[in-house]
Amino acid sequence: MIGTLLFVVFIALMLAGAPIGVALGIGGIAAIAAANVDVPWWGLFAAPQNMHASIAKYPLLALPMFVLVGSIFDRSGVARRMVTFAEACVGRAPGTLPMVAILVAMVLGGISGSGPANAAAVGGVMIAAMAKAGYPAAFSASVVGAAAATDILIPPSIAFIVYSVNVPGASVPALFAAGMVPGILAGLALIVPAVLISRRHGFGESERSRARPPFWHSLGAASWGLAAPVLILGGMRVGWFTPTEAAVVAVAYGLFIGIAIHRSIGWRDLYPIFREATEVSAVIMLVLALAGIFAYAVNTLGIADPVVAAVKNLGLGSTGTLILLFVVMTVLGMVLDGVSIFLVFLPLLYPLMIAFAWDPVWFGVLLTMKIAIGQFTPPMAVNLMVACRLAQVRMEQTLPWIGWMIVSFVVATLLVLFIPELALWLPRRLGY
Amino acid sequence: MKRPAKVEEVVGVACMVVLVLLTLGNVLTRYFTDASFAWTEEISIFLIVVMTLAGAASIAARDGHIRIEFLYDGGSARRRRMLRLVSAIATTLLFAVLAGLFGVTLADEIKWGETSMGLGVPRWWFTAPIPLFCAAIAWRAGVAGWHVWREPASPDPVVALDP
Repeated sequence: MIGTLLFVVFIALMLAGAPIGVALGIGGIAAIAAANVDVPWWGLFAAPQNMHASIAKYPLLALPMFVLVGSIFDRSGVARRMVTFAEACVGRAPGTLPMVAILVAMVLGGISGSGPANAAAVGGVMIAAMAKAGYPAAFSASVVGAAAATDILIPPSIAFIVYSVNVPGASVPALFAAGMVPGILAGLALIVPAVLISRRHGFGESERSRARPPFWHSLGAASWGLAAPVLILGGMRVGWFTPTEAAVVAVAYGLFIGIAIHRSIGWRDLYPIFREATEVSAVIMLVLALAGIFAYAVNTLGIADPVVAAVKNLGLGSTGTLILLFVVMTVLGMVLDGVSIFLVFLPLLYPLMIAFAWDPVWFGVLLTMKIAIGQFTPPMAVNLMVACRLAQVRMEQTLPWIGWMIVSFVVATLLVLFIPELALWLPRRLGY
Repeated sequence: MKRPAKVEEVVGVACMVVLVLLTLGNVLTRYFTDASFAWTEEISIFLIVVMTLAGAASIAARDGHIRIEFLYDGGSARRRRMLRLVSAIATTLLFAVLAGLFGVTLADEIKWGETSMGLGVPRWWFTAPIPLFCAAIAWRAGVAGWHVWREPASPDPVVALDP
C-alpha cells in the first residue's frame, strides 16, 4: 500500500515535469510519513539525515573534480592538436575523419569523466572539419555524440564514481580499471559502422587530395594533451594519488596547458569554467542527495523484497534477468538520463545483484555501458544534444545514422555481458 | 544567455575553488613534508554539501534541473504553463519542508552541544548553512513559479547539462 503510494507519487510528479530529484524526494517523504503516522514528527527526520548522508562522503569529491577537469580540457585546446596528430597517424581517405573523431574522444575520455564535456570538446573541432570534407552535418553529429559516450567507460568516469559511492564492494580504482577494455571495445565498435557508412556513401572523398600533417611535428604539439591521461591513469596506478587527487592534479595541469602553453584559456575564462563545473556537479549531486531519501524509504519499507522475489520467480536465470533489466532500462533511458535511472533503481538493483551473485564491478560496467548507450539514443540523449547543437541540426536528422552506432554499441555491451572477463581481467591483473 | 550572478552561484563557485585548493594542498604537503593534512577532510565534505545546495539554488532560479524534458516542453502553451506551476510548487514545497527539518536538526545540535568527529568543533557549525540553502532553493523555485503565474508567456528554460 505504502509502496504503491511511493511509486504513484514519484511517477505522477515525473510525468508532471517536476525535476527528478524533487519527485524522488517527495515520493520518499510521503512514504516515510505514511509508514510512521503514530511516531512523533512522522519519522520525517530520516529524510534530512539520509539526504545529507548521501552526499557527505569524501570519495564523492572525485565527482565535481572530474567534472571540472572536463570543463577545463574542453577549452584547453588539446582536442585540436590531438585531431591533427590522429590525422597524421591514420592518413586521409573516406572514413578517416570519423575514425579520428572517435579515437580523440577515447583519448579525451582518459582525461575527462563526463560525456557532454567530451562531445563539446571533440565536436568543437571535428564537426567543422568534417563539414569541410563533405560529411553531412547530421552524420558528423551522430559520430561525435556516439564517440563521446565512450568517455564514461574509459577511466576516469563520473558514472563509476556515482556507482562506487552507492554500491559496497566496488572501489573506484577497480571500476576504473574494469572500464578500460569495454571502453576500447565500444570505441572500436563505433569505428566500424562510421567507416563503413563513409566508404559506402563516399563521404570525405575530397580528403584524399589534402596533405597528411607531418607526424613528428603534430606529435610534439599534441604531447601536452597526450601526457594528461598518462599522468591521471598512471598516477593512480602507481599509487601517487587517489582518484580525487588525480582529478585535482589534472585540474592544475589542464589550467597550466590552457593558460601557459596553448594560451586558449584567459584569466577571464576561469569564472565561467568553474561556474559550469559547479552547476553540472550540483545538478547530479542534488539528485544523488534526494535519491538517498527515496532509497531509504524503499529499503525500510521492504518494497524491494517482493519485487526481487517476483523477478527471480520469472525463471529467466542470471543472463535472462540481465537482458530483461537491460531492455527495461533502455526503454526508460529514452526519457530519462542514465545516472538518474540508475539512482532510482539502485534499491532494486542492489538486492538483485546479491540474489544472482553478480560481480559488483562487472555489473557496474554493464550498467555504465547501458547509460553510455542512453547518452546517444534519441530523444533524451545528452551527448547527441550537444553534438547536434554544434552541428546545427535537429536530433531527428541523425536518425538514419545513429541507429547503426547504437546497434554496434549494443553488440559490444552483449560481449561484455557474455564474457565478464573483458571487464574483470584488468582489475584482477592490477590487483584491485 | 546572460544573467546576473546570484549570491548562491558565487558561493557555489567559491566552494569549488576552495575544494580544489584544499585537495591540491593535500597532495603537495604529503609529497614535500611528512605533515598530514587529513583534518581538512571534514571541511571538504562540508564544502561538497554547500556547493551542491548553493549550485542547486542558482539552477532552480532558471528552472534548469533534470527532468523528462520532452513532456515538459511539449504540448500547448497552456499545458506547459500548468506543468511549470506544478513543478515550481512541488520544488518549493519539498525544500521548504527540508529547510524546516534541517532547521530542527540544527536546533537540536546546538541544544545538545554535539561536536564533530574529526575537528572536535561544534557540529552545528557544519549544519547551519544547510537549512539556509534549502530555503534558498525553495525561494528561487517559488520566484520562478511566481513569474510563470504572472506572465503566461515566459521564455523556455535553459537545458542543463548532465553527465
